Amino acid sequence: MRKAIAFLFIASFCFLGTALAQDTDVKLTGWPYQVDVVRENLERFSSQSGLSATFNPFPSNEYHTKMVASFTSGTNFDVVYVRDSFLAEWASAGWIVPITGLPGVDDYMADLPQGIIEQMTFDGEVYGLPYYSGNSVFVYNQRLLKKAGINSPPKTWDELTKQAITLKQKGVVRNPIVIGLAANENSILRNLEIISAGFGGRFFNDKLEPVFHQKNSGVKKALAWIADGISKGVINRASISQGDGEIDKFMRSGTAAFTIVTDYEMKVLNDPKKSDEAGNIKNALVPGSADAVSGTIGYVRLYSITSEADKAKAWKLVQFLGGKDATGAYYVPKRWALEFGLGFSPAPLYKDADVRNSISGWINPDILQEQAKYGINRAYRFVPYFSDWEAEAWSEFQEIINGADMDSSLDKLAKNWNELKAEY
Amino acid sequence: MKRNKLKRYILIYLASAVFLTVFIGPFLWLVSSSFQMENQLFKVPPVWFPNPVSTESYREIFMGAIYDESYVSVYGKSSSYQARIYLRSFLNSLIIALSVSFFSVLFGAYAAYPIARMDFKGKYFLLFSILVVRLVPALALAIPIVLFAKKMGMNDRLITLIFINMSFVLPYVIWLLQAYFKTIPSELEDAGRIDGCSRFQVLNKIILPLSLPGLVTTGILAFLLSWGEFLFALLITETEKSFTSTVVAAMFATMVGDINYVTIIAAGVLSVIPPVLFALFFQKYIMSGLLSGAVKN
Amino acid sequence: MINLKNKEITPGKLALIFSAPALFVLTVTVLIPIIYAVYLSLYRYKLKRAKKPFVGLENYEKILTDEKFWDSLTTSLIFTVSVVGVIITVSFFLALLLDQDFPGRGLLRALLLIPWAIPDVVNALLWKWLLHPTFGVMNALFSMGGLIDEYVAWLSSMPSAMIWVVIAYSWKNIPLATLLMLAGLQTISKTLHEAAMLEGASAWQRTLNITLPLLRPTLTVVLIFETIFALKVFDLIYVLTSGGPGRSTAVLGWNIYINTFKKLDFGSGSALAMILGLITLFLAIFFYSFLDRGERQ
Repeated sequence: MRKAIAFLFIASFCFLGTALAQDTDVKLTGWPYQVDVVRENLERFSSQSGLSATFNPFPSNEYHTKMVASFTSGTNFDVVYVRDSFLAEWASAGWIVPITGLPGVDDYMADLPQGIIEQMTFDGEVYGLPYYSGNSVFVYNQRLLKKAGINSPPKTWDELTKQAITLKQKGVVRNPIVIGLAANENSILRNLEIISAGFGGRFFNDKLEPVFHQKNSGVKKALAWIADGISKGVINRASISQGDGEIDKFMRSGTAAFTIVTDYEMKVLNDPKKSDEAGNIKNALVPGSADAVSGTIGYVRLYSITSEADKAKAWKLVQFLGGKDATGAYYVPKRWALEFGLGFSPAPLYKDADVRNSISGWINPDILQEQAKYGINRAYRFVPYFSDWEAEAWSEFQEIINGADMDSSLDKLAKNWNELKAEY
Repeated sequence: MKRNKLKRYILIYLASAVFLTVFIGPFLWLVSSSFQMENQLFKVPPVWFPNPVSTESYREIFMGAIYDESYVSVYGKSSSYQARIYLRSFLNSLIIALSVSFFSVLFGAYAAYPIARMDFKGKYFLLFSILVVRLVPALALAIPIVLFAKKMGMNDRLITLIFINMSFVLPYVIWLLQAYFKTIPSELEDAGRIDGCSRFQVLNKIILPLSLPGLVTTGILAFLLSWGEFLFALLITETEKSFTSTVVAAMFATMVGDINYVTIIAAGVLSVIPPVLFALFFQKYIMSGLLSGAVKN
Repeated sequence: MINLKNKEITPGKLALIFSAPALFVLTVTVLIPIIYAVYLSLYRYKLKRAKKPFVGLENYEKILTDEKFWDSLTTSLIFTVSVVGVIITVSFFLALLLDQDFPGRGLLRALLLIPWAIPDVVNALLWKWLLHPTFGVMNALFSMGGLIDEYVAWLSSMPSAMIWVVIAYSWKNIPLATLLMLAGLQTISKTLHEAAMLEGASAWQRTLNITLPLLRPTLTVVLIFETIFALKVFDLIYVLTSGGPGRSTAVLGWNIYINTFKKLDFGSGSALAMILGLITLFLAIFFYSFLDRGERQ
């Protein structure tokens, strides 16, 4: 009897738990950043276009894993958030489609800087419109620097080391520099690329051949600089286990004076409710060297159309979210920039007074714009086998920083790349 | 004698204190952190007692669940989407955990009994093939299972998660119960069979009642395993109707600048309560003495 | 009549009938995906490449000749041995403690489940925070206790990274093992102990001669399962170290994740999972045949 009741109990929930077949026109998915705002935007879209739309987010850190499973088993989403780090992967697997040839594409491309378009391109075609984008910036704590008698931020990596030593010796900060060197998406490789750029080095040349393992390459200089810094104690050893999302804590509490972060993180660093050092964190150009003034990496999150979608309807949503709405204004990107400080790319927004005023509170927009000029070309990230190579690279770089032989390890990585290239 | 008893109690409570500190200590620190303001979290040295005490995160979760978007906190913020649906997801997790617990123990006990008590050809094959299910990491089976579920149209349903969790739990339950059944003296069964009971009746009337500690333990095990399950909950569910508490908890961690660490911790603290309550309620059945009574009879 | 009925049904058939529901769930949910995974492992199945040819044992060959696989296997074994050692030892003593009669033991039992009830996403944060190089409680405690001069970045170097991973994992899993051992202890008749005590046996002798032998089936199962769990570990490595620093905590479970979800190479990921499964199976058979002897006392 008990069992029968239990069975009925379960059976009834089978039906309750069923997802009713949606007759929505466009289904959007992504990660749960400001879900309410996204849904408000979708309502505006619906009233303007007459199409129904839903937003169904999944946890950020597991978004990639979830979508891999979803795509493999036949997803029913029409528009998806994409990070540039896996754009090539999804495009080469055929899960998302390019926007080439869709009505209005050229106008949008005209408003975007070349560097950003490159980051949304795979195999010569553009795969969507930007959600938000920006660059990595170099930040320092003005108050701590002044305390040690330093009045302006360093312009080269050597100068940075010297300033860090001063801070350490004067007892202002124990380990002044912290850098995200953890073995994950936005950390070790990305920061290495930035630092190498400052040393005038590149990972791959225009023919997508590895150059990092060559004698005196910028990459080698960067790795040596890091290893040296850690052994001197000027770079916090903990960097090896800290990822991009954890570095901000060091700056917020004043336990680090220098780091590299993505631009929108500065908002939190200077938010008095979240940071003890609010108001003290300033951005400067990423340090360079005799070989380069500066270097940085851009990042793009974009909206892409899936291969299963009704292209026409999906494109309407993508345009609304990443471009202009029915009134002809960049409504959604401006909203993200104004209300949340997310980075933006469309040229008109840089001139927008509201936007400039709002972000000046926590970041220097002129330096930010200046920094964008030094963004390096990262076409190598957009080959399908990049993520295969990347996974090996992360652990290899960590080993090098921990003392493994640099030359042989880098040679191994170069060989790996060439093997993969031949395979694909 | 009394001296010895005192010594014994002192030893016991001392050991208990040590274990409590090691195992509950970190959790207590979590609880304390959940009542702090975020910038207190990053202080050196760590803040042990929140000062001032802030219930903001809990209010965000509870008020958000009750009042939806209309709740606005003293800071002018309304409850985030994740916070609002969090408590509702507890219901899903509960349904899954309770069902898995009940059915796994039921099916598992029946499967374990012949293995423990009888000899037949293919016994070890049965035992180890049940185990095979658990030898391969779930990660490697994730895509095949999701594919299969989608093809069967069982996507985004609680029943699918119940089945999946059961299949991961059953091997443990069966193995554990067959071990427990073995420790029950066979004289009791023999007595029953001489009296004319069939195997079925022996199982129901003698073995099951006597192995209550084992049954309850495996039931708690099954509950906990499925309550905390994350991978398949993530991969099978699509809409908030079926999100489990683990999935929603993971949604609290969004982007840097938006992560509210205190709310994540508060969510974690809350998610510990149902399993612990479940265990507390049933643990009284894990008591000895049943066996000795039976032997005397 | 009843006896006749029994004689007609062979033990084997009875076993099948009894285990039918369990087998049904297992077959429907997991068996087919496992077969599919084996099938995948025989193909060069990379999602980013269009062609997915049948390659037989090529995936297996590639893995077994890769130096990194053997390093990873060693890491997995080191981790497993350490973890199983710690868990079995501690949980045995903890179970003995909880088996004693004292006021509050019910509460203690339920509370001790807390480490296990904490969801992974919060557990990850908890340990990252405890071990944080700047705000970590561990650093604060060790510093106060005079054990270290400077705050240490525990997860950034070896062997501390592995040590802490072992500690974090054991912390989470000891409650479960304790619970299982406890249920096993409970079925040991108290009268046996009483009789032995009357004959003057000390607590130590009683443990050695009564408890341990009778606990053998349970111990075997716990040992087997903790080994299986430990060999498959992934979640904790994913959140705490990502296999680092370098490759020092890259266990097999982590590599399966990298192959399947990062390189999108399902063929290789499945093959590695099968290899891991086989290793685990052999260990399970090994433990079982050596330790679990006999069903009757």
